[in-house]
Amino acid sequence: MIHAHRFILGLILLIGMTGFATANSGRIVADLSKSNVAITSGFHGTDLLLFGAVDGNIGDDILVVVSGPPTDVAQRRKANRAGIWINVETNIWQQIPSLYTVLATNPIEKIASPEVLAELGIGTQNIGLKIVPETPIPGQAPPVAADFIAALQANMASIDLWSDETGKVKLTENALFRAEVSLPANIVSGTYDVRVLQFRDGVAISEDRTNLFIKKGGLSAGIYNFAHDYSALYGIFAILFAVASGWLAAAVFRRK
Amino acid sequence: MYIYLPIAEISMHIAIIIGLGGGVGFLSGLFGVGGGFLMTPLLIFLGVPPAVAVATEANQIVASSVSGVLAHMRRGNVDFKMGGILLIGGVIGSSLGVMLFTFLRDVGQIDLVIKLSYVVFLGIIGFLMLLESVRAIMRTRQPGARRRKLHQHNWLHGLPLKMRFRRSKLYISALLPLGIGAFVGVLAAIMGVGGGFIMVPAMIYLLGMPTSVVVGTSLFQIIFVTANVTFLQSVQTQTVDFMLAGLLLFGAVIGAQFGTRASALLRGEQLRGLLALMVLAVCIKLGFDLAIRPDDLFSVELLK
Repeated sequence: MIHAHRFILGLILLIGMTGFATANSGRIVADLSKSNVAITSGFHGTDLLLFGAVDGNIGDDILVVVSGPPTDVAQRRKANRAGIWINVETNIWQQIPSLYTVLATNPIEKIASPEVLAELGIGTQNIGLKIVPETPIPGQAPPVAADFIAALQANMASIDLWSDETGKVKLTENALFRAEVSLPANIVSGTYDVRVLQFRDGVAISEDRTNLFIKKGGLSAGIYNFAHDYSALYGIFAILFAVASGWLAAAVFRRK
Repeated sequence: MYIYLPIAEISMHIAIIIGLGGGVGFLSGLFGVGGGFLMTPLLIFLGVPPAVAVATEANQIVASSVSGVLAHMRRGNVDFKMGGILLIGGVIGSSLGVMLFTFLRDVGQIDLVIKLSYVVFLGIIGFLMLLESVRAIMRTRQPGARRRKLHQHNWLHGLPLKMRFRRSKLYISALLPLGIGAFVGVLAAIMGVGGGFIMVPAMIYLLGMPTSVVVGTSLFQIIFVTANVTFLQSVQTQTVDFMLAGLLLFGAVIGAQFGTRASALLRGEQLRGLLALMVLAVCIKLGFDLAIRPDDLFSVELLK
């Protein structure tokens, strides 16, 4: 129902705009092709279509930010000790987005100035990330987030969870836009926040938000819940299964 | 076809998992080893979190040991009394091992300890095995070499709590197998192996057991040690991936059959020599990983 409602709203906007192709104050509506994603046994990441309508002028930009449920992330630094590389320092990033994707019609630095982006909280350097030492090194000052953020960005990008402009937003006739949102296979389940902004002359003039819900489903969820809710029973079951299959294998191949 | 592993929380191609199980199963059938020392590092290399790799491999070894021990039981090659003492030690050791594992994981050093354990133990065992098989090959070419004694006694056999092990033709202190069981149990829990590659030489050289009962007895006690690890990891860390273990198992069972057949084509000392080279190769690979400067000095882990 909500989908249909939003879609109709978008259409009305579109029709309205074709009639008055004059200067406008801007308005944006967006939705996802699917707002519920289940992580089932066959899950290998997925692509979603983000689409919508905008009351736009020539030169307007669309910027999309997808942000995953906040989670603590341990960041470790290796150093050489006695000839081998070992983790010497651990810092915990507190409640950072487990997924952070920025998609846009143009490179972000061309869309808005760093100050504007900072004010809007767009970009991982602008969302107030906090870092605390897990293994404080005696005589050393506590870590400063800004010093570690580049390494965090690189690490999170290497596991496909953070990305900038991996996909572009396509804007048609300054009215309709679409973007492919890629979700990697290692995403965390929870509620994802999707922000869609319309920029004109370096200023955000309208914004829409929507949510994406990711849940484990099917056999995969069954096993996960079994392992966490009845862990002792799960352990016993895993052992019995192993004993039975070992026995079966020996019996089958003995006969041959 | 990709499959999402519910506990490892990664997606892997099903052919890779079954192929890995089959390949390691083949080698374990060929050499008569459990294969955990190959499987666990390979799983980690493929992106399975180390904690999940170690716990899941323990679960898989339960199955391969059950299937292996049955053949030895039929031939009467299991010393249940010795196995019982070893497994008491093993259960104590592996319980301590799981606690140590959880602690090391919390302080972020588990990867290092897993890799270092592999380098140290595979290095020692591989080197000794290579030496032994080279000597054996030399000896077959030199007829008339002197025969060794059945077994040698040393101070270790003189400890208190002496016990008679009929099947192994031994009268030794129970503390010795208890200690060996406990030590191998700790390693089994940390390294995600059955520990046969340490247990078997320890049984031959430290306990002086006859070689005929060594493998069967080792497999017998490994079942209980790995079952204990499976249970404790399930309860404490929830890192046993049932789906991954099942698929690996499926491949390993089939691979092992072909391996066993292939082993008939090679001589015993040649097999041991090849196994030694493989053990050393894994050791060197892991050793290099620790010694070479990583591309990225930083790493991240999402905490739940």
